[in-house]
Amino acid sequence: MKGRRHSQFQKILVGFDGSHQGEKATETALVLAKSLDSTLLVFAVARPPEPATMVELDAMLDDAREHFEVQFKKIVQRANELDVELRTDIAVGHPVEQIVHRAETDHVDLIVLGRRGKSRFERMLVGSTAEKVLRYAHCPVMVVC
Amino acid sequence: MQNVWALASLWVGLALLATLLAIWFKISTALTEIVVGTVAQLFIGALVGTKGLGASSEWITFLAGTGAIVLTFLAGAELDPVIFRTKWKEAMVVGLVGFIGPFLGCTAVAHYILHWAVRPSWLAGVALSTTSVAVVYAVMLELGFNKTDFGKAILAACFVNDLGTVIALGLIFSPFTIRTLIFVVVSIVVFFILPFLTPRFFKHYGGRVSELEAKYLLFLLFGMGGLAVWSGSEAVLPAYIIGMVLAGTVGKDHALVRRLRTLTFGLLTPFYFIRAGSFVSVPVLIKAPLVFAALFGAKMVSKIVGLFPTVKAFKYQREEGLYYTLMMSTGLTFGTISALFGLSHGVIDQAQYSHLVATVIASAVIPTMFANAWFMPRHLLPKAEKEVAAKEVSAVTTD
Repeated sequence: MKGRRHSQFQKILVGFDGSHQGEKATETALVLAKSLDSTLLVFAVARPPEPATMVELDAMLDDAREHFEVQFKKIVQRANELDVELRTDIAVGHPVEQIVHRAETDHVDLIVLGRRGKSRFERMLVGSTAEKVLRYAHCPVMVVC
Repeated sequence: MQNVWALASLWVGLALLATLLAIWFKISTALTEIVVGTVAQLFIGALVGTKGLGASSEWITFLAGTGAIVLTFLAGAELDPVIFRTKWKEAMVVGLVGFIGPFLGCTAVAHYILHWAVRPSWLAGVALSTTSVAVVYAVMLELGFNKTDFGKAILAACFVNDLGTVIALGLIFSPFTIRTLIFVVVSIVVFFILPFLTPRFFKHYGGRVSELEAKYLLFLLFGMGGLAVWSGSEAVLPAYIIGMVLAGTVGKDHALVRRLRTLTFGLLTPFYFIRAGSFVSVPVLIKAPLVFAALFGAKMVSKIVGLFPTVKAFKYQREEGLYYTLMMSTGLTFGTISALFGLSHGVIDQAQYSHLVATVIASAVIPTMFANAWFMPRHLLPKAEKEVAAKEVSAVTTD
């Protein structure tokens, strides 16, 4: 029911990277937001290649925005089914820094993340993004396996 | 014909490998292509001979050259003319200082410390004078500075910096004959006409399957590039300026830019960067590491010395550290274009080329590596320090 947000977690942020784990984390966050009557921010971060060249950077950012916007449509549809108040956003930069920063500026009460990242390199370092967010976040962090 | 297809398959296979490496390690494709080119030449050269990779074949040279030209055009087209118009004074001053400092500093170090001849020293100055617009832009986006006056001015300054590099490359090594005069006059006329002619031409004939816009631009770039080379200059010089003058029109046509990027990244730039990497000699780098260290040091020091008074003059004290860090990065694109121009025109030899490319890569990579190795959410650092200080004060006052 809207307007009765008494739970500790009124604002939830879920880090979304388009991976299978990211989708699981988003579904978990949606269900949680529904049960706690919270608002949910689905937050994606486009990480620039390093070191960037200008044309490649712009191409990557355009592709990332398009990719995430397509994924966000499915998530919005799911949120409407569950009657969850949802926002989506895309930032550019280092994923951990952007997630932690956004959670602070938006006064988020809970961060939800998938345990493993998408790339093979990240899979070798189990949950490195989640681990760093756990270390620096100002609020509770839920890691979805 | 079979040899051509086998060679093409090898090169595109290397490009595919480079792309996979870029995806796995989240680094730029340009960098992986250069490294793959270097390693491929090392192994293939050892197995088959130095010509095994075929980097000097005419058709590979043509594709690589086209890649450099189109990439440079697209880089120029990234300029935001509105920002440039509002911040042009700061951009000109900061950009020129950012160019002149390392240009003169690296030239001096190459000539007086490394004892390179005059022309190779000038080439070293040009190659190491660039600033990576992409690195600056990425950080601006990350920190949200791209919307502030500070960020806009710095970005515009980076374009001016690179324009200085391109003009220096195009004119310093030019023989300055009547051909050069013809090239300059024709270029000026073309640059004035294009912003008027191009959008009207596209509006009338564009938007069709036959890709008239791409053909028009390639015709322009090849034509002006041919005129540049005829006059003794460099083809990327008119390409960059054409990109800049069309930034407000073609640059804003997102669909056209995307199609050009597909052509560029899908086929052309891999040939360029792999070829650039294939001329790097690893044994030379291993034999004389201090040459690389001297050039790298010269780049860093000359940037700081050149930028310090400018930073103070524009009162950028608050963002000073960030500013210096950003401006340290060398542009991979223009740095390698300058070095390859020097090698192709006999200005520098392979050893000097290897050192310059290694320095360009290092000054693009090392600032990023430091930033990631000591990663800490930057926005939290002052708050964390303040909290510690507050706790200490509180502990003292309650005692």
